Amino acid sequence: MIMAVALSFTNYSGGPRFRFIGLKNYIVAFSDPNFLSYLFVTFKFMTITVLFQIGLGLAFALILARNFRACSIYRGILYLPNILSSVAVGLAFMFIFEPSNGFMNQMLNSLGLPTSKWLASSKSSLSVIITIAIWQNFGYYMVLFIGGLQNISITLYEAAEMDGAGKIKQFFHVTLPGLSPILFYGLTIAIIRGFQVFDYIYIMTGGQQGGGPAGSTNVLAFDIYLNAFTFFRFGYASAESVVLMIIILAVTFLQSHGQKKWVNYDII
Amino acid sequence: MISYRQKQHLGKIIKYIVLTIVAFITLFPLVIVLSSSFKNESELFNFPFRFIPENPIVTNFARLMDKFPLYIWNSVKLTFTIVVVQLFTAATGAYVFTKLYWKGRDFIFGLYLASMMIPMQAVMIPQFLIIRNINLYDTHASLVLLGAFTAFGTFLIKQYFMSIPDTYCEAARIDGAKEWAIFTTLMLPMSKSVLVTQVIFSFRFFWNDFFTPLIYITTPELKTLPLGMTDFVREQYVYWGPQMAAALISIIPVLIIFLFGQKYFVQGVASSGLKG
Repeated sequence: MIMAVALSFTNYSGGPRFRFIGLKNYIVAFSDPNFLSYLFVTFKFMTITVLFQIGLGLAFALILARNFRACSIYRGILYLPNILSSVAVGLAFMFIFEPSNGFMNQMLNSLGLPTSKWLASSKSSLSVIITIAIWQNFGYYMVLFIGGLQNISITLYEAAEMDGAGKIKQFFHVTLPGLSPILFYGLTIAIIRGFQVFDYIYIMTGGQQGGGPAGSTNVLAFDIYLNAFTFFRFGYASAESVVLMIIILAVTFLQSHGQKKWVNYDII
Repeated sequence: MISYRQKQHLGKIIKYIVLTIVAFITLFPLVIVLSSSFKNESELFNFPFRFIPENPIVTNFARLMDKFPLYIWNSVKLTFTIVVVQLFTAATGAYVFTKLYWKGRDFIFGLYLASMMIPMQAVMIPQFLIIRNINLYDTHASLVLLGAFTAFGTFLIKQYFMSIPDTYCEAARIDGAKEWAIFTTLMLPMSKSVLVTQVIFSFRFFWNDFFTPLIYITTPELKTLPLGMTDFVREQYVYWGPQMAAALISIIPVLIIFLFGQKYFVQGVASSGLKG
């Protein structure tokens, strides 16, 4: 890590000669509109995936936390995509979202809806990748939250019911506070992973020529890879990775600072 | 008016309908992969989708025969090695961090944990340069070395070891048992379930791992399965049938393990959250 910071101040490109160039890498990065747009794409990807993954994860955890017939089958199915390799998932969805007559387009056609070029269009490529990320990962958060919900003592609900609290009140005053530590953990993990997305971008937008049409899916982690391992601009790539690290550490820090306000460790 | 019972009943039906629809959406892409890998090119894009192909073929798999057996073998070999190495380092590490008392232990463990918070992108470039300098670039040894230690796994096993009372170890020490004997004959047999969880998690991770091989492996003969699968991505013309067949092959082993070990997956996810 220290080496990464040190490298970011140099113009190292793999050869024996390189020198200290101060903050130049950072200045180049932040005055490059492309870099800023990659940063924007990264934030967009992260925000949308986190909202849906946590939202859907929580919704299905609430439905599936209580034991009922076949509940473990449903849990298993919803969690299943999470264990698969992102390469296999990427290849499968490239087939489904094939731009001319893939399954998705044919289905839309038969329903009389307009079709799309999906990954081949700069308007829709990021949405496709976001959808896939949500599809693959919300089950993880569901399983995480089910664990948390089952730890909330049933007597708390009984007490709340005695006091005349309805279902909605119970949710806000018993369920959410009880789940808050794990909700916090899940949120942190989701944000960190959102910032680091790489595999789908590489696989679904054409390998080393990737990044999507007009750079529409070029996220920071992908640009770091390109600069380091395709163009061998190790110095510049290190500077980018330091930016990414600072963002992630800042989010983690803000969250663990903010958690004191809304995370409740006493209730369980 | 609908009675309370009827209302409850209705809610239950709606719940099952919603769950079934979502389960269907979740499974459908996998069904497409399964059935498409047995279809020929002309049938692949037929609509409506047929689960059972009109003329099932296996040529998609036959097309993979020249390269993929080697990719699969590389993946099997590497995944197995790393899983064993990780299990050893994580279990011994957990033992040292729980049952032995030494100065600075908690501080070192704190550092170990903190390494989980640092994004992989921040360390990958220095790591790459180091590996290249010790001449391990483009070897399987580099992947084993990079995968040898796991902060998550050590943490997982440590949590479990902490629940085993120290008195067992002390009793054994009084009887004259060596630390190594305590570790292998006392601790390990008592913590089978957490060890299985660790094995399953690291198996899944390294079987699916794409990024590390992508950076470190260039020789085609050394490629792992996920890396080999991206051969399709770089080619100008897309062979959908073989691509689906390859995806199916890579999915099957994790699927089998998932079917038999679902509870370990759940345990692993849940326990990572409890102390998180």
